Amino acid sequence: MKIKIPNKITSELYGYNQIIRFIKNASDIKNTTIELDFELVSFLEANLCAVLGVCFEILEKNGNEIKLINLQPKVERIMRKNTFLIKYGYEALNDFYQTTITYQKFTPDNDEGFNNYITQQLLAMPGFPSHSKALGKAILRNIFEIFENARTHGSCEYIHTCGQYFPKKTDKPLHFTIVDKGVNIQENVRDYLKKNIKADEAIKWAMQKGNTTKVGDTSGGLGLNVIFEFIKLNNGKIQVISADGFYEFDKGEERVTLMSSTFSGTIVNLRFNLADSNSYYLEGEELDDDIIF
Amino acid sequence: MKRLSVKDIINSPLAVSTEKGEMVFKTINSHLQNNEKVIIDFKGIDLMITAFLNAAIGKLYGNKSYSSQFLNDHIKLDNIEKEDISLFKDVIERAKEYFEDKEAFENDANEMLYGKD
Repeated sequence: MKIKIPNKITSELYGYNQIIRFIKNASDIKNTTIELDFELVSFLEANLCAVLGVCFEILEKNGNEIKLINLQPKVERIMRKNTFLIKYGYEALNDFYQTTITYQKFTPDNDEGFNNYITQQLLAMPGFPSHSKALGKAILRNIFEIFENARTHGSCEYIHTCGQYFPKKTDKPLHFTIVDKGVNIQENVRDYLKKNIKADEAIKWAMQKGNTTKVGDTSGGLGLNVIFEFIKLNNGKIQVISADGFYEFDKGEERVTLMSSTFSGTIVNLRFNLADSNSYYLEGEELDDDIIF
Repeated sequence: MKRLSVKDIINSPLAVSTEKGEMVFKTINSHLQNNEKVIIDFKGIDLMITAFLNAAIGKLYGNKSYSSQFLNDHIKLDNIEKEDISLFKDVIERAKEYFEDKEAFENDANEMLYGKD
């Protein structure tokens, strides 16, 4: 069986609609050999290999054997550099300029593995902000907050990650994507609030400070908001896609809408501005020794 | 006062999971249960996230016998990086709200089931 991969795998609403519709249709295919035809794919945002990874996970779990064909040279090159293609018989390509954060998938209990992956690859990246320790730390914190969210809320088998850095662009953007195929945000929020809620409204609810679906003896509701507040200051971007909900905050503009298809999990795509010259702590802010609690 | 090294408790410079926060909470709690005063030392911790602090520190508010005054009397924090101060403030404020709401919810539920005292 031959299936064509959508032509643009990009982080615009159109791109997500395409790939998610593809994933939904592919989920019905079982126990066959599939040739995934990349002929139409002229451009691929490399960090979105994390989304492709989930797609392939679904196909393989359904007993299918996957082959990739007709990869255009530019697309093949980047997917070999970030090691996504290694599993499918391609050789790795040296990432000479160290601008990729390789594609990986982690089980939720492998937080040590994720720690090593991020500290080894991100901190080793030339140009990872040497001008601001606080900026670098804030970016790392954001990434770990998202991973922890996926671990604790997603109830998933794997968490897929991938990143790409563009040091020559003005803002020196670092793109990072984390995807899980598990319980989505709409399901979690609906169960918690005990009322129907649209997927886009559910994501918007989850982004607000103090809102959490966690119950029990530990508080929550800060992680996504910490990221959101940072992205605002950093002039970066955050996108959250879950079920058929699409949330985006990009360069100060918020957009919330429903998509034309549904993703059974959550995609978080971040863009950080590594040329950011803001400081990330308030000068003179201190904790009063006597009245902390 | 007993000095508790977070880095030693979690055996890592990365305080980035709920489970590691739980380890710190258990250690702090065992001392507080004995009315012992502690210094929670964050020296060597390179990174912290809210989920860790929610479990390590925020969870203390879940014990009704730990008032704010008790916690202020028994706990000092040391070697917190400047970039992390706002995180502590947010986590503590949020924990207070969470457990106040939880208590109100439980009181309402009990009242519904068993009637007013």
